Amino acid sequence: MKTTRTKKMVTEALLLGAAILFQMIEPALPVAVPGVKLGLANIIGLIALFMYDWKSMLKINLMRVLLASLLRGTFLGTAFWLSLSGVLLSSCAVILLRKFSKLSVIGLSMASSVFHCLGQILAVSVIYENSYLISYLPMMWLLSIPTGILTGILARLTFTRIRKGGIEHDIQL
Amino acid sequence: MKNLWKYARMNKHDLIFLVIVCIMTVLLYGGLALFRMRDAGGDKVAVVRYRNEEVMRLDLTKDGVYTFEATLGTVTIEVQDGAVRVEKETSPYHYCSLRGWVKQTADPIVCLPNELVITIEGADEGNDINLR
Repeated sequence: MKTTRTKKMVTEALLLGAAILFQMIEPALPVAVPGVKLGLANIIGLIALFMYDWKSMLKINLMRVLLASLLRGTFLGTAFWLSLSGVLLSSCAVILLRKFSKLSVIGLSMASSVFHCLGQILAVSVIYENSYLISYLPMMWLLSIPTGILTGILARLTFTRIRKGGIEHDIQL
Repeated sequence: MKNLWKYARMNKHDLIFLVIVCIMTVLLYGGLALFRMRDAGGDKVAVVRYRNEEVMRLDLTKDGVYTFEATLGTVTIEVQDGAVRVEKETSPYHYCSLRGWVKQTADPIVCLPNELVITIEGADEGNDINLR
């Protein structure tokens, strides 16, 4: 019993490390449309959700935002609050959708991306006290569909490899 | 590579979700477009806020070029023909200069790296009679 708990903790730590790495290198990756992020770090959150439970996912996502902002030096800045609110809303949405709907990984990934945008826009509207900032939202949602599908595919590919790699977990896609 | 499509398979619920998101996007865009159409004419000012504090109020009826020292460097703001744009700025992606000319209240210019927001407001705002 104790070994499995230790194993879980170590796996979570590894996932967290990977998530921070993704979060840090992502702005450096070239994307076709300027300003679009793939949301690679989100894959790790999904993996945690499917491997363990919603608590792991929330833990990893929150720690990821916190630690990456500390490493980047944006802690408690505007970007940090945007990131935090986006990740909170998207994590909650994904957890609820996982429980109450039959969305697959790709659907969950899309939902995560959509709610991340919504959370960011809500936060930036509150910070700048300007409700017109919502005019950015349609464009963001439109772009969040392809990026969500793409990260969903990547998450699914990762699951297959984790399963083959011998981590004994009952992952249902 | 052919196998990759296997991983892209979506179920019925995914497709329903996708359609819902598309509909919401279109509705939101339409709503904003309607809002822009209702945007009354009249004199407008561009309000420049830095770190959430108003630093400049530019009359859109007067053309001109203004500069402001923001977080990452000098931001050049240009006013011409009742529209405003960020002409030059230092930031990783240059979103706010890519945004181009803006002349309606529903379109703010946001430059997060520089902590700068430019919004367009009615010139006589504040002098309105408020019925409460």
